[in-house]
Amino acid sequence: MNAHNMDANIPVLFRSYESLEPHPNCKIWEAARATSAAPAFFKHIEIGRAQPYIDGGLGRNNPSRVVLDEAKRLFGARHIRCLVSIGTGRAETISIKKSGGFGQIVATDIFDTLKAITSDCEATHEAMLGLFSNLPETYFRLNVDQGMQGIDFSKWERLSNVEAHTTQYLRRAEVVDKVVSLANVIEIMKPQLTIEQLGAEEPHLSV
Amino acid sequence: MDVDVAINHYDTLVQHVFSHPKRWQGDGKFKATNLEEAMKATIRDAIGDSEAHLLEQDVDTCCRT
Repeated sequence: MNAHNMDANIPVLFRSYESLEPHPNCKIWEAARATSAAPAFFKHIEIGRAQPYIDGGLGRNNPSRVVLDEAKRLFGARHIRCLVSIGTGRAETISIKKSGGFGQIVATDIFDTLKAITSDCEATHEAMLGLFSNLPETYFRLNVDQGMQGIDFSKWERLSNVEAHTTQYLRRAEVVDKVVSLANVIEIMKPQLTIEQLGAEEPHLSV
Repeated sequence: MDVDVAINHYDTLVQHVFSHPKRWQGDGKFKATNLEEAMKATIRDAIGDSEAHLLEQDVDTCCRT
């Protein structure tokens, strides 16, 4: 996101493919750095003509809506199969200690940022569920929603725990079903819907 | 880059970036230069050139995900 346009909340898309939309011809690491520049964590990055970029932040952490808009521009009336959304854990299950130990170093603005990011992702997910509700097997969201309580911010070195919780999540019956039907949808290459079918598009600026 | 390699790179990256919070935290709690170093190392390992451009000239050449 261009830091100057924060109020308008207009995301900048870094594309690896040609597009009619103007976009910065940047390096891979610059794009990666821009999308990681969450204000409480890292300072912004300047790309090209000193345009400062910061992480998409609130409203754009779950990019499903942005992806749909882009797909509409790219594919127009052509059919697509499905939208697959992969989350990084749910707000109420990723607990970050506010006090004690490392928590004293991690300021509350980081805590608040992480909390806001995750709840923001869930809000977008809910909106997608509504949008796709009449079209079975077109929207798939995978997100480890339990068991991350032990993984606080100071425990980044314990990635094995994240792996264990993820494995556990993937074993759950309803998740197994979801993954199987997702694999089927992808495998049969069946065009299922057009973006237009998803009904009225939300105004681009609403979050 | 396959999933296992990606996880290994992530492991290395978070260690490099989050091990040492900055003493002065005005514009972010962690050093952006550490993040840049780690990202460039990952890109170099994946495609050989840490300064490669994002826009792919020939989509058939390689997968950069």
